[in-house]
Amino acid sequence: MDRREFLKYSALAVAVTSGMPGFLARAAAQASGTKTLVVVQLTGGNDGLNTLIPYSNGAYYAARPSIAIPKKDVLTLTPDLGMHPALKPLMGLWDAGQLAWMENVGYPNPNRSHFASMAIWHTADPTQGQAEGWIGRLAEKIGDPFCASNLGGITPQALRASAFSLPSIDGVDSFQAKLPAGLEGAFEAMLKTPRTGEAAYLGQATRQMLANTRRVQQNVRRYREGARYPEGRFAAALRDAARLIAAGTGQRVLYVSLGGFDTHAGQRAEQDGLLAELAAGLAAFQADLEAQGLADRVIVMGFSEFGRRVAENASAGTDHGKGSVMFALGRGVRGGIHGESPDLEDLADGDIKYRQDFRGIYAEALTRWLGLDAREILRGDFGGPRWIA
Amino acid sequence: MSLKPLSRPLTLEDAAHLLRRTAFGATDAQIRALAGRDAREVARELLAFDQRLAPDNPFKPQEAATPGAGLQLTRAGWLYELLYGPHPLREVLVLTWSNHFVIGTDKVRNVPMLAAYLALLRRHAATADFTRFTLEVAQSPAMLRYLDNDQNRRGKPNENFSRELLELFTTGLGHYTEEDVREGARALTGWTFEGGRGNQRFLEEPRFVFRAGQHDAGRKTYLGTSGFLGGEDVIRLAATHPATSVFIARKLHRALVADTPDEQAVTASATTFRQTNGNIRAVLEELLASEVFYASRAAIIRSPVAYIVGAVRALGQPKLEAKQILNLAQTAGKMGQLLLQPDTVKGWDGGREWINDSALLLRMQVAAALTLGSKAPQRTEPPSTLALLGTERSPWQAALAGLNAQQRTYLTLISPEFGLA
Repeated sequence: MDRREFLKYSALAVAVTSGMPGFLARAAAQASGTKTLVVVQLTGGNDGLNTLIPYSNGAYYAARPSIAIPKKDVLTLTPDLGMHPALKPLMGLWDAGQLAWMENVGYPNPNRSHFASMAIWHTADPTQGQAEGWIGRLAEKIGDPFCASNLGGITPQALRASAFSLPSIDGVDSFQAKLPAGLEGAFEAMLKTPRTGEAAYLGQATRQMLANTRRVQQNVRRYREGARYPEGRFAAALRDAARLIAAGTGQRVLYVSLGGFDTHAGQRAEQDGLLAELAAGLAAFQADLEAQGLADRVIVMGFSEFGRRVAENASAGTDHGKGSVMFALGRGVRGGIHGESPDLEDLADGDIKYRQDFRGIYAEALTRWLGLDAREILRGDFGGPRWIA
Repeated sequence: MSLKPLSRPLTLEDAAHLLRRTAFGATDAQIRALAGRDAREVARELLAFDQRLAPDNPFKPQEAATPGAGLQLTRAGWLYELLYGPHPLREVLVLTWSNHFVIGTDKVRNVPMLAAYLALLRRHAATADFTRFTLEVAQSPAMLRYLDNDQNRRGKPNENFSRELLELFTTGLGHYTEEDVREGARALTGWTFEGGRGNQRFLEEPRFVFRAGQHDAGRKTYLGTSGFLGGEDVIRLAATHPATSVFIARKLHRALVADTPDEQAVTASATTFRQTNGNIRAVLEELLASEVFYASRAAIIRSPVAYIVGAVRALGQPKLEAKQILNLAQTAGKMGQLLLQPDTVKGWDGGREWINDSALLLRMQVAAALTLGSKAPQRTEPPSTLALLGTERSPWQAALAGLNAQQRTYLTLISPEFGLA
């Protein structure tokens, strides 16, 4: 199935259920963009204060007698802020002006539930009125169910669309459907049988999968790895992202997750390890893109569903908090610190008061990187710092 | 209001439907044995399971050489029970509860801790006392460890368990305040366990202890009740809160009736829950004999584990080698359902979330391994349509004409219809 045929097929699938007229014309125009946004989700509530550290602030050290990052270990970025030492692999990007930190990001009426809060980031809707995700809406606007993919086993809500499900690719190598010889015709005929309800959904998902796997396998052999990736699922997912981008399979958004940030106890050991995994994976990914000559076409944007409390708890950990930092990296990013640091002496319920709505950060990526109408996708007008170069 | 009972005797398709939901699936003979019987009577019999386990389970986690091996053997041992155990409904419920009172092997790596947790879920699978069940879970070393309550001390609260107790285990969001979370954490201080800590002691048995010296005995207000509340009080107040009945009823409906349950029917089950003081067995008995249950066909997308176990049970439980079972447990993990390790404390959402390209590909591989592979159980006749699809006639019979029994079974296992229960 070639691209045109694929779009026609998926267009029919969408049109039947969503009734969006004439979007095929838009699809041709928009899906041809050459820029890719890689979204990195840090699951569990990453502690922003121990990621981008206000090392000149006495209140930070007072609130965290056992888990604060000692000043001598901080990787200095500005006279007031520095990075966690485990993020050292990213220092080169900072020095090159390709790493941006967005300070103090959150949303109105913060929710301390992992799941309610994550749903807010996924739907870009603090009232959680939307069942579909912001990337799902983006895909519907472009009209191509392949324009965004998750790299991992379970599709996050961010990639849920009302009319179709976006692909989840858990390993590019194994992403192929091999039907034993002689059964293709019978399989095809079985799938064509008219269905209703959940059976129709499963039938459509199966046909979509067959098309998606064909598309990936036709293209993916073009990739030659340009950097050594560390061990682990997160780095493997980033390597698959690089492969898909190099292969030109056409996704505008790729989604990667790293879990385990719910550090209620023994935070230093846990978060240190996770940030090291994050930084090593991202540094390898950037080096790979540079080697492939693709670094101008890709940026990474990272977030977590919330930060942690300012004060540590008695288990040398932190409980659920509110606002936190976001990060972005790549040649297309304007490096530096964007936004004001939180005031650690003016707290709400022990938490920092956020100053930047995350939807403003999304909006910048949508309009100035992907060239899409953020207003339509985010269903509102959100401003933020100019973090795209 | 209670659920309207099914008035007709079970038809063949009723019986097939019941066993798809309560036994992951069944053979033609098992289905036929229930046809013509009274729904209530059958529900009561199915729920009257005991604690016997599958004989000859080859997986012995207590003989594991490392913590990692202990987890793999625990997982495979449970899958063996799901595949071959004498009480599939008990295991359906254990799977459901393990996705409610979630613990995860990322933090819980002690073999006896996991065994005790599974035994606890089996004991209470159709419990007559939900409050007691919640209390025992809260005091299980697995849960104390997983949600850090073992580190919850007077003056230095750790809120993790207190929050999830309300949000995920009892009332659900919207029925409590942040203050309740904090007060609950205070009341639960001092609940911890001893033994079994650390990688070296992964085979040592831990046990619950209450450390009075670390307990905050002061006054608290929790869910509207004030007093010198302790951990037991908090568990009781949360478990008997009116919102809990609805939250638990909806979980049971999602597990047994539909991915998107009918809210009126949920309310009816919640009423039964309250009227019986949290008697889950009574709620289930009413549910499994109701019209709404029998009217809800093909409304649940099978989870990876349900898919695998359903296939093996519909095939008549062919004997698989230990290595194949270990592989299947890993494969279920790759499809998004690694037993005892949901991605988050909320558990698996299920429904359409189970379906994505990679998961569908793996379903094709599992189906091929069970039907076409060199080690696949040999057969001359495919299982009946009733056993595979729950209906007397296949909607796409003609498509498979001319294929042999193995091929027909393979294609049926990867059909949308088989993917549903």
